[in-house]
Amino acid sequence: MTPISRRNFLWHTGGGITGVALSQMLAREAMASTPTPRPEFNGGLHHPAKVKRVIQLFMNGGVSQMDTFDYKPELERLNGQMIGPKEKPEGQTGPAGAVMKSPFEFKQYGQSGRWVSSVFPQQAKWVDEMAFLMAMTTKTSVHGPGSYMMNTGFVLPGFPCMGSWISYGLGSLSDNLPTFVVLPDVRGLPYNQKGNFSSGFLPSRHQGTIINSGSPQPVPDLFADPRHTFASKEGDQAAMSLLQKMNRQHAAMHPEDTRLEARIASYELAAKMQLSAPEAFDISRESAATRTAYGLDAPITEDFGRRCLLARRLIERGSRVVQVWSGPQGAVNNWDNHGNIPDELPPIATSVDLPIAGLLGDLKSRGLLEDTLVIFTTEFGRTPFAQGSVGRDHNGNSFVTWMVGAGIKAGTAYGRSDDLGFKAVEGITYCYDLHATILHLMGIDHEQLTFRTAGVDRRLTDVHGHVVKEILS
Amino acid sequence: MISGALLTAVLPLQADDFFVTKIEPLLKSRCYECHSHASSKMKGGLALDSRSGWETGGDTGPTVVPGKPEESLLMKVVRWTDDDHQMPPKEQLPTEEIALLEQWIKLGAVDPRIAPAKADGDWWSLRPLNKPVVPVGPVHPLDAFILARVQTAGLAPNSPADRRTLVRRLYYDLHGLPPAPDEVEAFVKNEDPLAYEKLVDQLLASPRYGERWARHWLDTIHFADTHGFEHDDLRPHAWRFRDYVIDSLNRDTTWDRFIREQIAADVFFPEETHLTAALGYLGAGTYDSSAAATAPTSYEYLDRDDLVTQTMASFVSTTANCARCHAHKFDPITQEDYFALQAVFAGIGKGDISYQADPTAAQQFKKMRDLQNAIERQDPEVLLSPENDALVIAAEQAPAVAWERMFPEILVANDGSTLERKPDLTVLASGTLPDKETYLITATTKLADVTALRLDLLTDDSLPEHGPGRAGNGNLHLSEFQVQIFRPGATKAEPAPIRRAVADFDQTGYDITKAIDGDLKSSWAIHPVVGVPHHGLFEFTTPLHLEPDTKLVITLRQLQGGSHLIGKFGISATSTPPDKLIALPAEAGKISLIPRAERTPDQKMLLASAVLRQKAANEIARLPAPAQVWAAGSAATNERGLVAIPEPRTIRLLKRGDLAKPADEIGPGALSAITALKPRFELANSKNEASRRAALANWLADPANSLTWRSIVNRVWHYHFGKGLCDTPSDFGRMGGVPSHPELIDWLAVWFRDDAQGSLKALHKLIVTSATYRQSSEAHENALAADPENRLLWRMNRSRLDADSIRDSIFSISGKLDLTMGGPSIAHFTSKPGPQTTPILNYENFDWDSPGASRRSIYRLVWRAIADPFMETLDFPDMGMLSPVRGFSASALQSLALFNNDYLLKYCEHFAARLDQSGKSPEAKIQTAFLLAYQRPATAEEVIDFTMLATQQGFPSVCRVLFNSNEFLFLD
Repeated sequence: MTPISRRNFLWHTGGGITGVALSQMLAREAMASTPTPRPEFNGGLHHPAKVKRVIQLFMNGGVSQMDTFDYKPELERLNGQMIGPKEKPEGQTGPAGAVMKSPFEFKQYGQSGRWVSSVFPQQAKWVDEMAFLMAMTTKTSVHGPGSYMMNTGFVLPGFPCMGSWISYGLGSLSDNLPTFVVLPDVRGLPYNQKGNFSSGFLPSRHQGTIINSGSPQPVPDLFADPRHTFASKEGDQAAMSLLQKMNRQHAAMHPEDTRLEARIASYELAAKMQLSAPEAFDISRESAATRTAYGLDAPITEDFGRRCLLARRLIERGSRVVQVWSGPQGAVNNWDNHGNIPDELPPIATSVDLPIAGLLGDLKSRGLLEDTLVIFTTEFGRTPFAQGSVGRDHNGNSFVTWMVGAGIKAGTAYGRSDDLGFKAVEGITYCYDLHATILHLMGIDHEQLTFRTAGVDRRLTDVHGHVVKEILS
Repeated sequence: MISGALLTAVLPLQADDFFVTKIEPLLKSRCYECHSHASSKMKGGLALDSRSGWETGGDTGPTVVPGKPEESLLMKVVRWTDDDHQMPPKEQLPTEEIALLEQWIKLGAVDPRIAPAKADGDWWSLRPLNKPVVPVGPVHPLDAFILARVQTAGLAPNSPADRRTLVRRLYYDLHGLPPAPDEVEAFVKNEDPLAYEKLVDQLLASPRYGERWARHWLDTIHFADTHGFEHDDLRPHAWRFRDYVIDSLNRDTTWDRFIREQIAADVFFPEETHLTAALGYLGAGTYDSSAAATAPTSYEYLDRDDLVTQTMASFVSTTANCARCHAHKFDPITQEDYFALQAVFAGIGKGDISYQADPTAAQQFKKMRDLQNAIERQDPEVLLSPENDALVIAAEQAPAVAWERMFPEILVANDGSTLERKPDLTVLASGTLPDKETYLITATTKLADVTALRLDLLTDDSLPEHGPGRAGNGNLHLSEFQVQIFRPGATKAEPAPIRRAVADFDQTGYDITKAIDGDLKSSWAIHPVVGVPHHGLFEFTTPLHLEPDTKLVITLRQLQGGSHLIGKFGISATSTPPDKLIALPAEAGKISLIPRAERTPDQKMLLASAVLRQKAANEIARLPAPAQVWAAGSAATNERGLVAIPEPRTIRLLKRGDLAKPADEIGPGALSAITALKPRFELANSKNEASRRAALANWLADPANSLTWRSIVNRVWHYHFGKGLCDTPSDFGRMGGVPSHPELIDWLAVWFRDDAQGSLKALHKLIVTSATYRQSSEAHENALAADPENRLLWRMNRSRLDADSIRDSIFSISGKLDLTMGGPSIAHFTSKPGPQTTPILNYENFDWDSPGASRRSIYRLVWRAIADPFMETLDFPDMGMLSPVRGFSASALQSLALFNNDYLLKYCEHFAARLDQSGKSPEAKIQTAFLLAYQRPATAEEVIDFTMLATQQGFPSVCRVLFNSNEFLFLD
C-alpha cells in the first residue's frame, strides 16, 4: 500500500478545501452530524428562519415582576395581610411576610395598553413593539440553579447555554468576530460565574467569548503584550507566515486529517479577527446623538449603555448571539432586592432602562430589527409578600420576559399570573418554551437540534418545550 | 374480520401473529414518528416501540389496560375523546385501525416484542464475562484479535512506527511530557531487542506516570478545586484527593481496591487512616452551598443525583441517572434501581473531613480517645489495667516538678481592679469590681529555659467564699491565657504559643483548654469547688529560651461577665520536660500519700482517672495537627459548620422524579440488570450509612460485575489509542457506541481481573507492547475508504495533545518544568475579593515566573466555573460535568491564545534563553530547538527558513512558531 496523495484525498472527499468556507471548515469537528444551515431556509436548519441574530439582556438576581411589568391592583387591597405560605418555601431565604403593594406607580402605555411601572419609563414607550410572556415559571428559587436553568435548560452545571447551542446549530455569520459574545457587568460576573456561558459538552469553540468591555484588549489575546518585543506587528507577520508554511507542509503529509486543515484555517480566521475586532469595539466612532440615546452621558446608564451599544455593533458586524448582563452577583447593584424594593430597585432599573430603549431605537432605525431578536429576561421573579418590611424574596413561580424583533407579534402578551403575582396560572411558560420559540424563529426545530453525550441525545429543551405561537407574527 | 368471541379463544401464538401482522405495522406507521427510540422522540415521555413502553406509559400514566379498551388511555386518545390529547394530532385514524387497536387490547394486549429494558443476555455490556479464545495469529493476544478483523476486512496493518515517533508517542502517552533529546537518541540507537519493553517499565515506574494518568481519572469524575455554583468557593483541602490519585496510580493500587478506597476507605481500611483522602471521590462534584441553605430538600436530592451519576458513569459506564424520572428509556435500569443508588448515599453530605494522615499517630489518637472514653464511663477494667496502672505508678514516683515563682514586676488591670504584689510574690486583687477584666502581668524568671507556666489560683480571707474568685460564689472565669516575650532591647513582643493546658479541676463545660482555644467567649472555671486553691499548667509549643532580662507578659482575659474575676494568684515557671507535667487535683494528691495497698477501689479509680486524663490530653496535644480533605461523610465541615447526618435520609421512589410525588420507600442497592449480583443490599444495620457505601463498593468491585471490568479496560484503551473499543467510555448502554471488538473487551476484562489481578500498570504494558499500538499512523487510501474512522485499528490514531500536555511540554521544552510533587494547588491567576464569597480572578496579570508557576498542570488550581481561558480554548473540559473524553476544537480564539498569550510568549523567551545558553551557531540552535520540540532534526530547508526568522525577529519567534505548529501539537 502506498500513502495516499493529497490530491487523491481531496478528490475522495468530493472537492477541494478552497471550495469550503473557512468557518465551515472549522465546523467539521470529530462529529459526523454537525448541523448545516440551509440557504433555502434563509440560513435555518429545519424551516425558514426569521431571526438571524439575538441580543439577550439578562437581569441577574431576579427582577421583581409586580414592581415592573406585572401590575397587580389586588396587592393594594391586601397590603399588610399575612396570607402567604406558612412554611418557608424551598429557595426563599426567609419566611413569607405580609402582602406588600408595589411602591411604584403603574400606568398604561401604547395602543396595547400594557401596564408598566414608573421604574421603566423608557421601555414603557416600546410596549407596542414587545411581546410579553407574563407567566414564566422555573423549577427553583435559588440563583445558581435558576440561572443555569434560564441559560442552559437544566438546574445543574455542565450543560451548554442557548448561545452555544445556536453557535453549534447555525455557526457564524461572518469570519470577523466571535459567534457568541458575552458582555458581563463591569462590576463582576453573575451567579454561577462563567458557568452560565459554558458550551458544556458541545465543542469548546461554541462557548461564549467573554468580553471585558472595560479592558483595552476586548477579545482575549487579540494582540501580544508589547513587552514581548518579538511579537511586534512585523514579528507577527513573519512568524505567522512561517507557521502556516510549516503547517501546510505537515498537513500535506496527512491529507486525510481535516483537523490539521481546521487549525490552519483558524489562524486565518484569527488574522481576520485582528483586523475587524478593534474597529467593532471602538465605540468612539459613534455619533454624539447615538451615545446620548444609549445613556453614555450619564454615570448611572453608562456601563449598561456602552455594552448595549457594543452589542449592536457586534451583531451588525457578524456576531450571532450577544448576551448583555445587568448586575454582578452579590447583595448590591443587581436585581436581587431582598432588603428594600423602594430603594434598591430604582437605581438598577434606571441603569438599564434608557440603554434598552436606546438599543431598540437604534436597531429599528438601522433596519436590524428585521432579522434581530431582543430578549429581556431574568432567572426568576420575586414574592408579593414582603421580606423584612420592604424587600421581596426569590420566587420561581412567576416572572416576566419580553421579546422584540423579527417574527414577534408586536404589542401582545401571553399568560397570566394569579392576582398577587405569586404564581403563574394561565399560559404558563418555562425556559424550555422560551428557548423553543427562539430556536424556532431562527429556523431550528428544538427537538431536532441534538448532541449525543453520556447516553442521551441532549437538547437545549431537554424533553420539553413548545413554541409559543401566540406571540409570533 | 373475525368476531370478538373467536378472538378471545385464539392461542397465544396466534395472538402474537395478530400483533406482528396488524398492530405493530399500525404503531410503526402512525405512532413511531413521535413515540419511539428510532426517532429519538418520546413525546409526553411515551415510547410505543416496546412492550414496557406502553406498560409504563408516559407522563399521563399507563397507556393500555390489557383486556379493557374502555379504560385504556390509548383508546381515548385515538378516538379523540380525551380532552387533553388527540392522537395522531393531525388526522384521526381510520375507523378500521381504531377497531384493530380495540380488539388487540380486548385480547389482552399481547405484545411479543422483547423490551429494550431487559436484563443481561441481550446486551453486550451486561453479559456475564467469559474469556474468549484468542484467534490464531500473532503471539501478542491483542494483535491476534485486531489482526483477525483487519484481515477479514481485506486490509493489512500498518508497518511499525519509526523509533523517534514511537518514543515520542510512548512518553506523551505515559507521562504527558516529551522525551528529552538524549532520551530519544538513546532509544533510537539502542540495539537491545528488549529496549522498548525496558523503556515501558522505566516510564511506568516513574512518578510522572501517576501525574499523567491522574488527570484522566479527575476528568472522568469531574473533580475540581471549587464548588462551581452560585458561590464558586475554593475547597482548600480538595488537593489531598488529587495527591491520593497520583499516589495510588504510582503504587499501582489494584482496581478493586481503588474502588473500595474511594467509596468506603473508612469501612474497609480503618487502620490506614491516610486513605481518608480517597473519600475525596465522594466530594469531587459540584456543591450548591446556597441551595443547601435555602432549599435543603431539593439540594440533597440533586446532590445525591450528581454522586449517583458520577459513580455509575465512572466505574460501570452506566447512565443510571437517566432513570431518575422514569425507567431508563434504553437500558435495563429501573427507577427502583436509581433510587436504591440514591439510598446508598443518603447518609452523607459534602464538606471537609479531618483525619490523622500518619497511621502511627492515628493509632495513638484512637488509643487516647478510647482511654478518655474509659475515664468518662469510669471503666475499672481499663483504668486499673496493668498497662495503665504502670503509668499511674510512674506519675506518682516522678520527682516533684521544680516550680519557681516568677517575679511579677508590673501589674496592670485594664478595667479598674487594684492589683497588689504580696511579699510571697503572689498577687491579690481588690477595690473596684468590674464586670469584665483583663490583667497584664509583666514578670521575670531566673530560669534560662522554660517549658511551662503554672497559674496558682489562691484563697484569701478577703475574697467571697475565700476565693479563689471574686464572684459572689467564689468562682472565676479565665477566658484566655496568653504569653508574650519581650527580649532585651527588642521593640516588639513575640507571642509564645501554648500547646496544652491542664488543670487540677475543671468545671463541667469550662475546662482549661477553653483558656487557650483563641475563643474569647469560652473560658476555664472552677465552680463548685471553691474555697480551696486550684492550679493550671500551660505548656509552651516550643520551650522558651530566655536571655537574662527577658520579660514575659502574661495576659489573663476574664471576659465572662458577672465579675467572674481572679481574686488571688501566683505564676511560676519550670524547666522540667513537658511530658512530666501533670496537674493533680488536691484530693488525688492526697490519695498518692496513702500506701497503695491501703487505698479503696474508689480512691484507686479517682487517682487513675486524674493521672490518665492528663496523660491522654498530653498525648493528643503532642500529635501532629490533623489533615483535612474535601469529601463527603456523615459528618463533614462546610460553610454551615460541622454538618452531621445522624442517620440516612429516607429515600422514596419519586414519580416522574418529582419531589412532590413520593411513592414507596427504597432501600440501598444497585442495578438489577447485573443478575449475578443481588440488586438490593442486605445489611445488618441499614441505619449505618457507611455499610451502605461499603455494600456498593463490594458490588462494584465484584469479579462478577461484568460492567466494572469492561469499563476500566475500555477506559484505559481509550486513553492509549485516542478512542475506546467502545467509543463512549462512560456509557455502555444502547445510546452509547457499539464496541468495535466486543470479544477483545471481554478478553481484556477477564485478563485484567484474573491474570493481572487488577494491575493497571500490567494492563498498560500489555497494550503498549502490542504491534497494534506500535504501528504507524500513516493513512492508506484503500483502508481509509473501507474504514475511515479506523475502528479496526489498521493504523495508530493521530491525536492532538490535550491542554495539560501542551502546557507541561512548553514548560519542559523551555527548560523550566518544576517537578515538585503534591501539596496545595497552584493558582495561575491573581485574585481579589468579589461582591460575595467568590473572588474575582484575573488570569491575565499572573506572573508566570513566580515560584511554582511552572509545575505540572495536574497541580493547577481548577476553578470550576471561572476556567482558565487558555486551557479552555484547548478543550480542557467544563468540570461542571463528567468528561470521559477530551474534545477537539479549532477556533480563532484558540489560535489567538496560542499565538499571543502572555504565558506562551514568556516561555518562548525562556526557550530562546535555553538555546542561547548552548552558545552554538544559529543553525545549531535551530537543530536543538527542533530536537526539543519535535524530537527530530530540522531539514535543510527548515534550517534556512528558521535561521532567517531568527535573524530578523530573534529566537523567541522561532520558538513561537514551533509551539504553534501542528507537528508539535499532534502526536503520531
